Amino acid sequence: MLRMPRFEVSCPESLPEALALLAESELDTRVMAGGTDLLVALKNRLEVPQRVVSLARVGGLDHVTEQEGSLAIGARVTLAQLGASDLVRRLAPALGEAARSVASPQVRQVATIGGNALLSTRCRYYNQSHFWRKALGFCLKKDGTLCHVVEGGKKCVAAASGDTAPALLTLGARVTLESQHGVRALPLLDLYRNDGIANTVLRPDELLTELVVPAQRPGHRGAYEKLRVREAIDYPLLGVAVRLDVDPDSAVVTDVDVVLTALQAKPRRVARIDSLIVGVPIHGEAFEAAAAQLGLRARDQCHPVANVPGDPEYRRKLVPVLVRRALLRAAGAA
Amino acid sequence: MAARDRHGSGPPFGDVFKVVGTSARKVDGMAKATGEAVFTDDITLPGMLHAKTLRSPHAHARIVAIDTTRAAALPGVRAVITGRDLPGRFGVLPWTQDETALALEKVRFVGEPVAAVAAVDEDTAIDALELIRIEYELLTPHFDPLDALRDDAAPIHDTRERNVSKNVLLEFGDVNAEFARADVVIDEHYSFHGTTHAAIEPHCALARLGADGVLTLYSSTQITHYVQRTVAKVLELPEHLVRVIQPCVGGGFGGKSDPFSLELCVCKLACITGRPVKMLYDREEVFYTHRGRHPMQMHFRTAATREGKLLALDARTVLDGGAYSSFGLVTTYYSGQLLAGPYALDALRFDSTRVFTNKPPCGPKRGHGAVQPRFAFEVQLDELATRLDLDPIELRRRGALPAYTETLNGQRITSNGLLACLTAVERASEWRVRRGRLPFGVGLGVAASMYISGTNYPVYPNEMPQAGIVLEANRSGLVTVLTGSNDIGQGASTIVRMLVAEELGLALDQVRVVAADTDLCPVDLGAYSSRVTFMVGNAAIDACRKLRAKLTSALAAHWETFEGDIVLSEGEAFDRKEPTRRLSLKEAIAIAEAKYDTLATAGSYNTPKLGGAYRGGTIGASPSYSFTAHVAEVRVDDETGRITCEHLYVAHDCGRALNPMLVAGQMDGSAYMGAAEALMEDHDVDERGLHRGPSLLDYPIPTALDVPGLSSLIVESIDPEGPYGAKEAGEGPLHPAVPAIANAVYDAVGVRLRHLPFTPARVLAELEQQRAALEGRRARC
Amino acid sequence: MTSRPAPDPVFAFELNGETVTVSAPAHHTLLELLRYRQGLTGTKQGCDKGDCGACTVLLDGSPVLSCLTLAVTVAGRAVTTIEGLGAEHRRAEGRPHPVQEAFDRSGALQCGFCQPGMLLSSAALLRKNPSPTADEVRAALSGNLCRCTGYAQIIEAVLRAAAVERGEDPPAPAWSIEPRDEEP
Ligand SMILES: Cc1cc2nc3c(=O)[nH]c(=O)nc-3n(C[C@H](O)[C@H](O)[C@H](O)COP(=O)(O)OP(=O)(O)OC[C@H]3O[C@@H](n4cnc5c(N)ncnc54)[C@H](O)[C@@H]3O)c2cc1C
Ligand code: SF4
Ligand code: FES
Ligand code: FES
Repeated sequence: MLRMPRFEVSCPESLPEALALLAESELDTRVMAGGTDLLVALKNRLEVPQRVVSLARVGGLDHVTEQEGSLAIGARVTLAQLGASDLVRRLAPALGEAARSVASPQVRQVATIGGNALLSTRCRYYNQSHFWRKALGFCLKKDGTLCHVVEGGKKCVAAASGDTAPALLTLGARVTLESQHGVRALPLLDLYRNDGIANTVLRPDELLTELVVPAQRPGHRGAYEKLRVREAIDYPLLGVAVRLDVDPDSAVVTDVDVVLTALQAKPRRVARIDSLIVGVPIHGEAFEAAAAQLGLRARDQCHPVANVPGDPEYRRKLVPVLVRRALLRAAGAA
Repeated sequence: MAARDRHGSGPPFGDVFKVVGTSARKVDGMAKATGEAVFTDDITLPGMLHAKTLRSPHAHARIVAIDTTRAAALPGVRAVITGRDLPGRFGVLPWTQDETALALEKVRFVGEPVAAVAAVDEDTAIDALELIRIEYELLTPHFDPLDALRDDAAPIHDTRERNVSKNVLLEFGDVNAEFARADVVIDEHYSFHGTTHAAIEPHCALARLGADGVLTLYSSTQITHYVQRTVAKVLELPEHLVRVIQPCVGGGFGGKSDPFSLELCVCKLACITGRPVKMLYDREEVFYTHRGRHPMQMHFRTAATREGKLLALDARTVLDGGAYSSFGLVTTYYSGQLLAGPYALDALRFDSTRVFTNKPPCGPKRGHGAVQPRFAFEVQLDELATRLDLDPIELRRRGALPAYTETLNGQRITSNGLLACLTAVERASEWRVRRGRLPFGVGLGVAASMYISGTNYPVYPNEMPQAGIVLEANRSGLVTVLTGSNDIGQGASTIVRMLVAEELGLALDQVRVVAADTDLCPVDLGAYSSRVTFMVGNAAIDACRKLRAKLTSALAAHWETFEGDIVLSEGEAFDRKEPTRRLSLKEAIAIAEAKYDTLATAGSYNTPKLGGAYRGGTIGASPSYSFTAHVAEVRVDDETGRITCEHLYVAHDCGRALNPMLVAGQMDGSAYMGAAEALMEDHDVDERGLHRGPSLLDYPIPTALDVPGLSSLIVESIDPEGPYGAKEAGEGPLHPAVPAIANAVYDAVGVRLRHLPFTPARVLAELEQQRAALEGRRARC
Repeated sequence: MTSRPAPDPVFAFELNGETVTVSAPAHHTLLELLRYRQGLTGTKQGCDKGDCGACTVLLDGSPVLSCLTLAVTVAGRAVTTIEGLGAEHRRAEGRPHPVQEAFDRSGALQCGFCQPGMLLSSAALLRKNPSPTADEVRAALSGNLCRCTGYAQIIEAVLRAAAVERGEDPPAPAWSIEPRDEEP
């Protein structure tokens, strides 16, 4: 079997207990929620901690609740729960789609939204066994000094690969980070950094405890499109989440947001798009033309590199296609 | 030799089969459904050690020095071995034995085994590997076969011609003359990429040296007999002291048809330590072990008349063999020999060159050697049909070889259900009303093929039977069948049980099959080249006929009647003329045992003399051939380039379907595997020789959501020499899937795909070129 | 690495209906515990990285991957392996679980290596959804790779099990035998 490094496991029962364990700094510690990413990283020796703190028993992290249209999601809520939740289907359809597109049924059964939001960046030169990486000569992100994606690159450009982040970003989600030193709430976008090695601002002593999706406007629609080889299991080679706000009376677009993932370390929000589509009625040719325009604008802002499998040029060609399809699907789905 | 008897294709008693033709359950179905079935890694022996392999990080390098002292000194380590401990060369074919269990002087691909450690547990073994120091001197690696053929290329082995593993040039008829008189010639280049078996069970081996000096090896192999020979040779032991047992195998597809490093290492380590030693490959190691489909670059030219009569095929092929020979000699022949059918040709020439490269070795994968040229030729036929404005099914019909004929390279064809296969897929797909008339983006494509049902060429030349069976009828009412054949999930043991039950009139549970244990079972060559049903089936019938003669003659004496009137059926024996004379088979066996002593018989099978009278003429010669036709229905997304194979209509002539449910399972499994090769799988290394993704994540095999709808249409041609008329079903149904998809894409969007795999990126690029060409044409108008 | 390894944790969980108390190193997976310490070798290992589903077991009734589950985290929970599937059917009715029966009946078992996982995923599906469509079956089994069958007979088997449990006729298989001209 594949071997994991020897480590201890702590299974705290409460949040304060968990935070106290994280505050102790003598043991190199990793947090484990569902463990579906962490265990693979351990088997590949991408992580070699001395202790793993499991959130499995920590109470109070597994709620999905609505308050005046706003959705609060505990960090340990599983993707299976989210994917099946009627609240999510109603209030944040793109999030539900994204959650259902992750991995496989067995993985979604234990994979958490917190773990998905904090998923490490991925790269074809990094997500490999120790033997393979050693044969390669390692890379900047772990144990090495070179980047194999960008020749001479000094910065890791591994790809954000979580499916739910783009959907959450279009919804304006906020995250709550807690440590013994206090609580921080920040927009999800600010959780991420454009650095493949340290892609979040989460501190080692902090836990992500909750995500909040603010109340959306009436007429809100969303969709998530994912490029992958198979219809299950595969990580995104490109992920596109869209939010369309539509005036319920006139059926014209009042606001739009498009976020892409699997490009660089940080999910990417497409800029300067309002003028292309706001004010356009969602039914009819004008909308289709606007969606196509928007897709092209997205493509101009996206520059896939050879970090994840698949030809980067192809991924770039697919940006406008996926963006347009996501918009059309969002518009069609009332 | 009894082996060459024709047993006839009818039922043994009366006009109806009792067992044959039913979808009887498998011998091990419930054991597998309850988790009770034992696979190699499920076995633990007392005092067992765990072994691990150290692998080369370099694609091509000379080993300058190996220092294992620190590893050997690690507490818990029981033995460390390197190439020097197992220097004997081996390889599945006796002519090309270029492998050693662990690299000797050189490493030839990333992932090649270099050293092995046995320790008290896997953790310790892994830690010990880290302590082995190896000094390498790097050599130039070659990943492109054309590059490896250059005069200044670094030699990977000592070969007569630089890096040529095998070259075959054969010509039948006068190819140049046929091309000279042709009305049309299609001349194109095609390429097939590498793919691998990816059986879900990783390779595992466990060895134990008994106090009696017998070395027992449990292994997830398809070829117990060859493994036994190889272990004896490399460990320099007498063959009779090596016992190889194959527990349940979790899929093979040709990927477990070579003797492998791990088998030899655990044997050696068990001998050194005196303790049982197990080695289980992790998934990454399985990718390095490979032996998968050879990438091929093919330049094919087909000559035909205006009416679509095929005149000649001229094929030039370069096979990328990877680092070792494996079955490569045979692959090289198969790449041309099997093109002589299923269509009549007046001339055929092929020039195939297998080249060594610094990659995991290629070998036999389901449809060995013939899937790649079949792709090229069937696409070429589609191009011909387009050029001649002929229906592609009609073109194939016109060209089809008849039954009972000989191909121009001397292969004897017996039963032939090709036309029935073409008709079946034509009807099921509603070809006549749909093809060419579907909306843009949706299309139908056809392809057909033939494949061997075993080969008359054992991998080491000998005059002995290729399959043997021993039967013992016990007074308990049980008949035990001993067969060396390997049931790797395809149902070999189930078929043997059904045949014995039919022949002896037994209930299924009165037949017990003991298989694949070299101490107990007569030799069978193994589960490869689709030989098992045909050869082992015939051997079983042969053994049964002898046993049956004893049973019926004892009963005839007992009832004072004629032998010919005795019927054995459904657990009973009776006199056809006097049906009140009736005994259970248990009682019948007791009567026969009293008369003839302990009841045991042996049966065997050997092929008749087959094949052309030229060097290599027996390679590809089979006692019978199976035939297949596919129609693929695809949907092409012209914005993403993604091809969805919506449906595969698969018609396969398997002779007689001894168990139609199992035949259908083989057809489904083959067809889906072919479709996956076309659309998503790609086994390759990068510019450093590193595998592009040695995992089931990065080497995607289809999930239940990624498979086409499958309609398996069983065509029964009833072969004169197969057991009750049966032929193979495990490999043939794969071949047409790939070209049928390519041809369907042409129907759907007008793009001709000649290079595999059909990734969305490639298809999109082709569509863009097509669009640009159209616009260019429009602009010129 | 820690210089002095902590003693292996001891914990109890329900395994195929019985409470067991075990000790396992903290860094061992449930797969390792089941196969090599509990001797429950019916649970298979195909990749050990979450990619194939061969190691699927039921945790509190839902399919999870035992290769991506740390053994200690199942403390206090209920694990069902293939050896435990259908135990109640066998006890109560002397027959295997309907999916086991149907897989054998439909030819869905070839090499059988994917089957334990496949069967557990199927059983979990039918518990939640006794009348699934073929597409729902495909989705529910999309984390269980099978290399032998092309899935057709597996899907047929799950639909068969569902039909049989509902007291209906099983669906016809997708394969058929072509009518044959008379024998030579
Ligand atoms: C075969 C396979 C396929 C996959 N496919 C996909 C896919 O298609 N799309 C996709 O998005 N993902 C995929 N994944 C990755 C993974 O399963 C999911 O991203 C999952 O949501 C991760 O959640 P988890 O709870 O299992 O995370 P864990 O593995 O427990 O944790 C992931 C990371 O987050 C940290 N963490 C988790 N929770 C917290 C918290 N509350 N506070 C602080 N830190 C925390 C951990 O320390 C770790 O670094 C796949 C995984 C596998 C094995
Ligand atoms: S982007 Fe470069 S540095 Fe980052 S993981 Fe990939 S190869 Fe390593
Ligand atoms: S062994 Fe667990 S998913 Fe493959
Ligand atoms: S039956 Fe062999 S992998 Fe599924």
